[in-house]
Amino acid sequence: MALWEIKNVALRGVTGTVPNHVVKTADYDIFTQEEADVFDNTVGIKNRYIGPDNLCASDLCFDAAERLIEALGWEKNSIDVLLFASVTGDYKTPPTSGILQHRLGLPNSTFVLDVPMGCCGSVYAINVAGNLLSAGSVKRALLLVGDTALRMGSMKDKSRVPLFGDCGTAMALEYDPSADDVIIDFNTLGEKFQALMTPHGGFRHPITKESYIEEDFGNGIIRAPKDTLINGMDVLSFAISRPPISIKNVMDKYQLNTDNVDFFLIHQANKLIVDRIVKKLKLPLEKVPYDLQEFGNLGGASIPMLMTYNLADELQTRPLTLVCSAFGLGLTWGTMVLKTKPIKVISINKL
Amino acid sequence: MTNIEKLNHIFCEVFSVEEAVLNSEFDSKNVEGWDSVRQLSLTSAVEDTFDIMLDPEDILGFTSYNDAKSILAKYEIEL
Repeated sequence: MALWEIKNVALRGVTGTVPNHVVKTADYDIFTQEEADVFDNTVGIKNRYIGPDNLCASDLCFDAAERLIEALGWEKNSIDVLLFASVTGDYKTPPTSGILQHRLGLPNSTFVLDVPMGCCGSVYAINVAGNLLSAGSVKRALLLVGDTALRMGSMKDKSRVPLFGDCGTAMALEYDPSADDVIIDFNTLGEKFQALMTPHGGFRHPITKESYIEEDFGNGIIRAPKDTLINGMDVLSFAISRPPISIKNVMDKYQLNTDNVDFFLIHQANKLIVDRIVKKLKLPLEKVPYDLQEFGNLGGASIPMLMTYNLADELQTRPLTLVCSAFGLGLTWGTMVLKTKPIKVISINKL
Repeated sequence: MTNIEKLNHIFCEVFSVEEAVLNSEFDSKNVEGWDSVRQLSLTSAVEDTFDIMLDPEDILGFTSYNDAKSILAKYEIEL
């Protein structure tokens, strides 16, 4: 059973950066105004920020990281660990985390790692970095989580185009023997890997001429094998059933309830799925922030952006108990209980 | 509004169709635009309207007008 009680690790700060270009659903030429209105009202995503093709997730994360490091007053030489959680790295090789170590001017002694785990990215990053810091051998970790997921797919795929926004976030973790345990439960359903995938472009199916041949799948979905796909029914089936069970199990095990939890941060996949989880667990709506109406689905950056956009005042002024739920690619899903003491939350920047 | 009228109204709203097309042929295979988003919209509206909480397997099984009626019967909604 993949359940951690990570000791001695505290979250110190968080921020996020988005491109300075807002896109409304009706701005996509594959939608009529009427279709856009229906999408906005059902899926709940009205805006998303999309950057030009030459703006990478690492650029957004770099901006977030620089601003967070400065706000925390951290000497760059004091950072021991840099993680980059993204499925949209700069190159196939090398890992982008190494490039970011150099760009940020972190020391050569930095341990770097890419974590390409999609929508669970931030929870994976906290899990990995938390376990690295827990023993106290290394003291400070910078977690950069971001994606530019729109451009992974076909611009003629109505099931995917309007969902995603570009974003880069930064979180700072530090060794702290006074910190409450970070609880993390993780699960994997590898048999459903085809629910969210990019069929061609890896070594199983390298890019060939066939990778560019588009097929019409109906319902406004036209894509080629090089394009990332969403099997909606499989994702729906997974997202409405597995994450609520994990959340409930963790809450039961650690005597958490809707009174002693301050906020529930649920991956902002789409409003229907988040609403479903809220309803299933009977969560009080005032404790479940949403930001998908403004940013869309941000993949792994969902949870740090909820902290930055929705909870800045609360996180900076009082201790909080947060229950976080992430689910996606893999398929993987996890629940994290994070008890914070007042931290730095730096306003979102538009780059 | 009777329960069947409420159900029909939900289908008409979600799929932007006239009530006359709601029959045994109205299912996810025949209806253009019946995707996972529409299906979850449909089941959410049904839950809100009839004040019930569908199990995940019933949400996934909500793939036709006839299935909708059978599933609602399981929740003791008389149509």
